[in-house]
Amino acid sequence: MHNNQLTLLKNGDQTLFAALVRDHHRALIALATPIVGVSEAEEVVQNAWVKAHRAIAGFEGKARVRTWLSRIVINEAKMQLRARKKEVLFADFGDENLTEDALADRFNHSGGWQHPPANWHVDSPDALLMGSDLKDCLDRLLNKIPTNQRAILEMRDTSELPFEEICNTLSVSASNARVVLHRARTQLFKLVDHYQETGEC
Amino acid sequence: MLSCREVVDHADAYLAGELSRRQRFAAKLHLLMCRHCRRYVRQFNSLIKATPFMHSKASDEEVAKIMERIDRRNSKPGSDV
Repeated sequence: MHNNQLTLLKNGDQTLFAALVRDHHRALIALATPIVGVSEAEEVVQNAWVKAHRAIAGFEGKARVRTWLSRIVINEAKMQLRARKKEVLFADFGDENLTEDALADRFNHSGGWQHPPANWHVDSPDALLMGSDLKDCLDRLLNKIPTNQRAILEMRDTSELPFEEICNTLSVSASNARVVLHRARTQLFKLVDHYQETGEC
Repeated sequence: MLSCREVVDHADAYLAGELSRRQRFAAKLHLLMCRHCRRYVRQFNSLIKATPFMHSKASDEEVAKIMERIDRRNSKPGSDV
């Protein structure tokens, strides 16, 4: 975001705030979903937008705006859990064996590639995951992977929160968080690789 | 010498600059000789950079709903969310 845009936004420009909602709303829903569940994510994010609107004048622009909004959503999600007297963030957290390493079958016994990656056609990083067919595949995968993998993937890779903050929020060790993130990323890699090779999910 | 499997397992840490000097040297040496792993690491890096963009933009209806809610809250000073 440009400095002059940020200044206008902080001064209450509604058109720019609406653009912010357009750009980030669905990513924030995806962030809240593994924490509070799909039925409450919408409410949590709506409340977070109201709070973000009140607090935007104090946004200093040190963090990316997505990261700043994500922190508000996570706080709101935690409040929601407390209000519902739920103490555990995810039912399946800790069961990291739910999904095996997604690329395990791509290697031979000595650890060399048996089925090497396809050569991807990548115009620009932001376009890689944008195709509408691939998006459907991606949505299906995100709904299927264990909640802890989805939470850490969203927090680290789409919200770009620091590892330390993720570990504090979820009460997990850094090594556990890294293993879980690696598994989520390799699931994504396998999906994109297959899609690039075959045009299918 | 690292195996391809080990390079893949360490790709996150390699790209994040979190490997020790010795581990990094071993990974670089492997990448120098293995085009499949070079491709893997390059494309894995593209994927990580693409992830912030993986969610679509909100529809006009979704945006309008949020903006209306904000207006409603602002017209009631002192009301909590």
